[in-house]
Amino acid sequence: MDLLPDRVAWYVVGPLLGLLVAGMFALANKPLGASGSYVQTIAALRRRASEPWRAWYFAGIFIGAVAASALQGRLQLRTGYELMLDVWPLPATVVVLAAGGVVMGYGARMAGGCTSGHGLCGTSARSAASFAATATFMAVAIGVTFVLHWLTGGRL
Amino acid sequence: MRLIGLLFGIAFGFLLALGGLNEYEVIHNMLLLEDFAPYLIMASAVAVAAPVVWLLERRRWSTPFAGALRPGRSRPERHHLAGSAIFGTGWAVAGTCPAPALAMTGSGALLGVVVVGGMFAGLMARDYLETRTGEGLADLDLGMRIAPKPRVGMAEMDRV
Repeated sequence: MDLLPDRVAWYVVGPLLGLLVAGMFALANKPLGASGSYVQTIAALRRRASEPWRAWYFAGIFIGAVAASALQGRLQLRTGYELMLDVWPLPATVVVLAAGGVVMGYGARMAGGCTSGHGLCGTSARSAASFAATATFMAVAIGVTFVLHWLTGGRL
Repeated sequence: MRLIGLLFGIAFGFLLALGGLNEYEVIHNMLLLEDFAPYLIMASAVAVAAPVVWLLERRRWSTPFAGALRPGRSRPERHHLAGSAIFGTGWAVAGTCPAPALAMTGSGALLGVVVVGGMFAGLMARDYLETRTGEGLADLDLGMRIAPKPRVGMAEMDRV
């Protein structure tokens, strides 16, 4: 199927995401954060989730992406990191990505949120900590990306 | 609430994939300052959500599931900044963040599984370090604590 374009304009996607963020505050006074959903998914598997709905939210993100990709005609098995695989062989890429995931998880847990929890929800609720967190991870991520770009001779 | 969580997740994942945020190259180019659409997505989301939250709070909105609307707010503390610096490093390396990593995997990217697995390991490692009990998540500020004892710097807002 090819019912939807590969990339829908930011002024459609962004405001709709904003409505979801506002909607979850309006319904349940909760930030719609992704790293919290990872945590609650682990907790749910151990049968001690304090917010089981977040485990369902976790599953939902996956399902929603499957549906959108199918409608875009892009649902197919692939590595997803073709650009990185041009630079490093598969085993090295797997190590880099696993390390990236671990560092992200560790940092998000320490900071109390990630791009969605602090970046979208906390800022929408005018939490000072979220503005500080968002400014920090944006600046660091851009800086590290430029370092990677330089280290790989512009291939990444 | 579980059904609402599922539906919000589906909508969120659907929108991430529509915006192309489930693609490594889109996020990588965003951080290389070559693609500004992801910044505009984030900014316009906040531009829509912030006034709605502000207005609802001003009108003393009562949420159907959790009483009066009172979004958690925290003052910036060291752990917010240090954690975000660590998070930003991982974000740059993996070229995706927690929700997009899931959406990426959903759209068929097999290496997304590696990032998601790493996320789980990293979250658990931090929790382990914070409790130092070996009990993992059991005693953490995930609302799973048995005795609700406030942990320094882990306010309500931090359960995101």
